[in-house]
Amino acid sequence: MHQLPILRFSLAVYCALFILFLYAPFIVMGILSFQAGPEGGPQFPIIEWSTYWYQHVLGFAPPSRVAPLPIGEALVRSLTLAFATMVVSTVLGTLTAQAFRRKFKGSNIMFYLVVLGMMVPGVLLGLGMALVAREAGISPTWWGTAFVLHVVYTYPFAFLVMLAIFNRFDPAVEEAAWALGVPPGRTFRKVTFPMIFPGVLSAMLFAFTLSYDEFPRTLFTGGSDVTMPLAIYGTFAVEIHPNLFAFGVLTTLFSFALLTVYGLLMTASVRKGRSKASGIQEDIT
Amino acid sequence: MDVTAGGVEAQQVPRQSFLRRNHHYFLLLPGALWMVFFLIVPLAMMVYVSFWTQTTFAITPDLTLRSWQTFFASETYFGALIRTLRLWLTVLVITFLIGYPTALFIGQFVKNKTTQTILLVACVIPFWTSFLIRVLAWRPMLGREGAINIVLQDLGIISQPIDALLFTELSVIIGMVQIYVVFMVGPIAFMLARIDGSLIEAARDLGASSLTIFRKIIFPLSLPGVVVGAIFVSVMVLGEFATASALSGRKVNLLGNIIVTQVGSLKWAFAAVIGVILTVVMAVAITVLLRIVNLRREL
Repeated sequence: MHQLPILRFSLAVYCALFILFLYAPFIVMGILSFQAGPEGGPQFPIIEWSTYWYQHVLGFAPPSRVAPLPIGEALVRSLTLAFATMVVSTVLGTLTAQAFRRKFKGSNIMFYLVVLGMMVPGVLLGLGMALVAREAGISPTWWGTAFVLHVVYTYPFAFLVMLAIFNRFDPAVEEAAWALGVPPGRTFRKVTFPMIFPGVLSAMLFAFTLSYDEFPRTLFTGGSDVTMPLAIYGTFAVEIHPNLFAFGVLTTLFSFALLTVYGLLMTASVRKGRSKASGIQEDIT
Repeated sequence: MDVTAGGVEAQQVPRQSFLRRNHHYFLLLPGALWMVFFLIVPLAMMVYVSFWTQTTFAITPDLTLRSWQTFFASETYFGALIRTLRLWLTVLVITFLIGYPTALFIGQFVKNKTTQTILLVACVIPFWTSFLIRVLAWRPMLGREGAINIVLQDLGIISQPIDALLFTELSVIIGMVQIYVVFMVGPIAFMLARIDGSLIEAARDLGASSLTIFRKIIFPLSLPGVVVGAIFVSVMVLGEFATASALSGRKVNLLGNIIVTQVGSLKWAFAAVIGVILTVVMAVAITVLLRIVNLRREL
């Protein structure tokens, strides 16, 4: 296939156009977030360039007819929820993947049971959970009913990531440690964990971002204290103002910061793994 | 070796050996319990409640088929089912047609692993913005005074702004394609990148044309990726309601939208009926897709 320069070139152009298609709404959103406020609407033309809507989001703008976004507490709730989901689903995913390193009866059923969690549409799961909570007399809360559903959703991702990591993992290293008389707990801490750490990081990143942005599962089960996506959904019903776009730009920047931290941790762990590989024996004794 | 070692230990210290022989079941237990209680039970509850009796503001556990009859008798609801199926198939086909060439370029024409990763990451970056804001960002793109109309008018391609772009089924399709196409590109590119280059070289040496190579080697080998992508897109599009309500001005009602409205007016039994129908559609779709390739063997 690579002997076709014309095809190669046209596919490259196509790929560039494709990426432009993916980014176009963001570019427009970025431009419109600098619309003049508070009278400017979420459309072209730009009346005057200003950072009014950014001040509005951050609460610095003087009160106007546009109500401020109810984000302060919602953001804290979403971050807390995403953090808890991340921890629980990564632990569950690692435990399950560890069990899958051996063949056992019923592994097929367990595999599909876990993977089903990412296959069932959120709105169905939310509905089912809301019904269960209703009948059981539990009032829906973001840290209760919504939290367990978030884990149902992110745990399969963590499981699959860890399964892939364990598949490439050479058990001989662990066996060597056991043969040398290192207790299992210590082996896990000093040998297994450092080797699977990049996978654990990826699983955590997956779980955090999925939970942070999760919306259909939270809609019926989140209760009266809204999370971030629910707060944004609430603005759907009324008029849209450019403050949402400013907020979108800010959250994207925040995500990039998160991604950078992940990248740095990943590079650090790879480098540490390399430099440590030689000195591993002194380390475990 | 393993078996005999275990057997000897079993005679000496039976209790520890029982734990050790079955320790993977203990590792599985928390996950299995979590999934049964918070995934299987809610879904079973949904099926059960769909047969309950619905009064104005409450449901009682007296079994009846009334809600089911209402669904199939009502043109609005049955129409929503048809619309959901039509929209799902449209989005599925378009994401495949748009996504495949991109995946082909990334997976087969870019030989450098780093460039491949960079291109894939570039496709994934939009996902780090809130889903709902991504949907809303289409409004200033598609509106009467939106970016697309402005650009097309400036280029002199159209003289009148196109009204049909926003608050129609078309806008919902455009929005969904942009949001979900990446789920198609990723798996296909992954499978394409795994194809052994010597296979293609061998075919070429034997005199196969590029088209034959694509038809007989590249496409069949990328099929598992297509199926995985199609499953992702199907699951997400069938459960959709936010894109439809944001970009159609609540004119395009999918099954998901009806669930949300029914729950809002406390019609739990009826929402459950639609939920069950949606589950059946999804199960059929995934079963058909899995018939095409045996995923567990291919991956």
